[in-house]
Amino acid sequence: MSTYILRRLGQAIPQLFIISIILFMLMQAFGDPVATLGARTPPKPEDKERLRRMLGLDQPAYMQYFTWLIGNDWQKIDIDGDGTPETYGKRKGILRGDWGNSLVTRRPVLEMIGDRLPNTLLLMITAEIIIIILSLTLGLYSALRPYSLFDNLVTSLSFVGYSMPVFWLALMLMYIFAVNFRQWGLPYLPTVGMFDPRVGKTPGQLILHMILPVTTLAIISIAGYSRFVRSSVLEVLSQDYVRTARAKGVRPIYVVLRHALPNAALPFITLIGLDIPFLLAGAVVTERIFAWPGMGRLFIDHTARADFPVLMGILTLISIAVVIFQILTDVIYSFVDPRIRLE
Amino acid sequence: MKRNLYILMSLVVLASMVLTACGGAAPATEAPAPTEAPATEAAATEAPATEAPAATEPPAPVPSGTATITFTQEPDNLNPLYTTMFFSGITRDFWLKALWSFDENNQPVPELAAEIPSPENGGVSEDGKTLTIKLRDDINWSDGEPVTADDFVFTYDMIMSDKNVVQSRYPYEDYVESVEAQDPQTVVVHFKEPFAAWLTNIFSGSPSAAQGVLPKHILQPVFDADGTIDNAEWNKAPTVGVGPFVFSEWESGSHIIFKANPNWINPPKLDQIFIQIVPDDAAQEAAIIAGDTDIGVFLSSDQIEKLEAGGNVKVVAVASGYDEGWFLNVNPETAHPAMLDVNVRKAIALATDRFTIVNDLLVESVNPVNSSFWDNNPPYNSDIDPYPYDPEQAKQLLDTAGWVDSNGDGTRDKDGVELVLRYITNDRELRKNVQAVVEQQWSQVGIGTKLENYSSDVFWNGFNDDGPQAQGLYDVAEYSSVGSFPDPEASSNWLCDQISSADNPDGANWQGYCDPKMDELLKKQATTLDTTERIDLYKQIQQLMYDQVLYIGMWKDPDLWSVNSRLQNAKLSGATPFWNVYEWEVTQ
Repeated sequence: MSTYILRRLGQAIPQLFIISIILFMLMQAFGDPVATLGARTPPKPEDKERLRRMLGLDQPAYMQYFTWLIGNDWQKIDIDGDGTPETYGKRKGILRGDWGNSLVTRRPVLEMIGDRLPNTLLLMITAEIIIIILSLTLGLYSALRPYSLFDNLVTSLSFVGYSMPVFWLALMLMYIFAVNFRQWGLPYLPTVGMFDPRVGKTPGQLILHMILPVTTLAIISIAGYSRFVRSSVLEVLSQDYVRTARAKGVRPIYVVLRHALPNAALPFITLIGLDIPFLLAGAVVTERIFAWPGMGRLFIDHTARADFPVLMGILTLISIAVVIFQILTDVIYSFVDPRIRLE
Repeated sequence: MKRNLYILMSLVVLASMVLTACGGAAPATEAPAPTEAPATEAAATEAPATEAPAATEPPAPVPSGTATITFTQEPDNLNPLYTTMFFSGITRDFWLKALWSFDENNQPVPELAAEIPSPENGGVSEDGKTLTIKLRDDINWSDGEPVTADDFVFTYDMIMSDKNVVQSRYPYEDYVESVEAQDPQTVVVHFKEPFAAWLTNIFSGSPSAAQGVLPKHILQPVFDADGTIDNAEWNKAPTVGVGPFVFSEWESGSHIIFKANPNWINPPKLDQIFIQIVPDDAAQEAAIIAGDTDIGVFLSSDQIEKLEAGGNVKVVAVASGYDEGWFLNVNPETAHPAMLDVNVRKAIALATDRFTIVNDLLVESVNPVNSSFWDNNPPYNSDIDPYPYDPEQAKQLLDTAGWVDSNGDGTRDKDGVELVLRYITNDRELRKNVQAVVEQQWSQVGIGTKLENYSSDVFWNGFNDDGPQAQGLYDVAEYSSVGSFPDPEASSNWLCDQISSADNPDGANWQGYCDPKMDELLKKQATTLDTTERIDLYKQIQQLMYDQVLYIGMWKDPDLWSVNSRLQNAKLSGATPFWNVYEWEVTQ
């Protein structure tokens, strides 16, 4: 087992290299970081030129990649614009733990990600737990009573949930429960943010502000997941070993929990395992609408400013997480399914 | 059973399609109901918690109350040297006052300066090359250290240092000779030549420029230790400032809090300013209507009616110099040959029914058609009436100019060249709609169009970065622009030596216009320190631009702010919106 994990990790290293090269090439398409500088009027040409030079953006793309990867602190670069390099660079490169600085805020990328990651995890893990529990329950129940009224209801709601665009659902929920409910004098939910400034950042406030975004995320995902659980449980229930178990007179609940569920759960575990690393990425649309300060918004905000060190940082982090969770999923597989041997 | 399921499924699909199509109009949908139930229950139990503090809040002892403001973009950096973002600049009205602010009429109000320099009080020298600013002697940084002239000299040194990757060196690099501390209370700025735009651009509160003063006692040690202030903690958490409020916390992506500074010369009445970052426009609208925010900005005029419907919100239009307009390419090298004829340019103006466009796509009372680049920048605005909509006269002018439809394809031509104009803008939705209407209007007088849209990061690029305007790949370019508000300075757009080309890639004159008369006027106003005289020069400049049809105004583009009625005394200014924040109060 441990040799297997080591081998997989060994394979991951060239994999990550290739990913980083591809990502860096994609970054070139994001536009010019000093084109607008976020201002309402375009910056002056001489400022643009100076900034490009000072931020190293005048270098060819492959040089920028090497600087990002291994740094430039051993070579002199031209800062004052007289054409001759005179100052040593300051970057150490990601291989030496320096994830670079944002071109927009000038702050270390890792620090910026660190600011957002807890918020994203709070939102996404809460949503994911609710999604897993509800889709397992709904899917299982539907599968046990296929084509019943309940199953048909869940089926129809799933289709509705699945076909709704996230932004529309989010704004709808916000207008109904935060705007209209208040106007109608009913108990209402807050619109945006993580807490009411007049109350402060209390756990109660956090929960209150999480209800709408979590509901949005849950409705969209439960729709698909519960269908998935339903069909895999249905498939397993028609297998011979389940029929045998039933024929033996095993109690129905035991048949489901002991024989059917573990087998039906295998594809679901794969799905969740591949999903988890993307929790780090946050939910772009939901975070944006509910003004939740997570990773999705960090990514989008800095995409708009073509801030490639931040984008590279986030994407690298997610790539590493994907690789690790793929390995973890495979390992968990071997526990859940004794037929699988990892060699 | 199975057939029933099919029927049910198709019904559901149909229903969901209808629901999706309904868009924002659907009042309540059935679909989310089951999952919503817990949400409402939770709301019921939690709601009192939010209301309780409001009820127990003491009536009005000073300072008390929180004003909440929504920002649709998050400031990138709070250090004024590292940002030109509007949303960063306007926070400085709270925590980093400059020499002066601008009031709701855009008149300067002294802040750190004891008085506004002028020739009468000796602040502006006879030759206009020296500015002497007396500082108030009773102003301290929020940690108690006095604000002195050394802080200003330090700021200048930091802007000019090669160790700091500052956002802009304007105007210090090109116009300023030196900044000196004559004594602790006197700052002297020497210019290379008289600099008319000093009021906006020298240590002023204007958010458009990288402006402000840095606390030397905090940042000098950082500079000495790190060799740069690029990564100073103060840039993100400027706990020492100089203003009616003091920075308290900034949680990335979420909010920024400023607390009252009771030691400020005008003690504020509020005790907290809470800036909520809300990136989504529709969500900001919901927050404004729900009353979750007291002030919102960058609204569009089609939102006004909806926002004001509840009676608690007022939308205020504040001129900040921006006017939407057309810049016409008259560069013989790159423009369509017809564009070089002033009568054709005039015909373009006459053939466009801007009044209907404004009426249909915007709110006419807020966005009237402007005639000049400076119409939203009083006192430098023009009193010229915009060209009327007169397609008949446009046709006549085009006929006289020799552009007639000789081949009967519906588009005028001359010497085998079709009159098809490249009309470009960025990818903003409103501008695309205007393009479509204009294409229609022009076709009625026989002008063909080639509509093009560029993403914003390309649209304003320079010559070497394939900027479509800089390279002259257009005949008409539309966008909203401004001088260095409240100063009118925007000369480089029309100066001969600023024409952009391969030899002069940084040139800002993207229209290729060159006229000795215009050059003379523009250069003269840049060094004219007398306001009355300068206004007169601008009248002449605008008349010339109008006669030459270099710029065709589309509409005035003021900033739209929403103000909740619980917030009082906010006198929003176009340059320094929150200049009188110390007077703000909230009721309830």
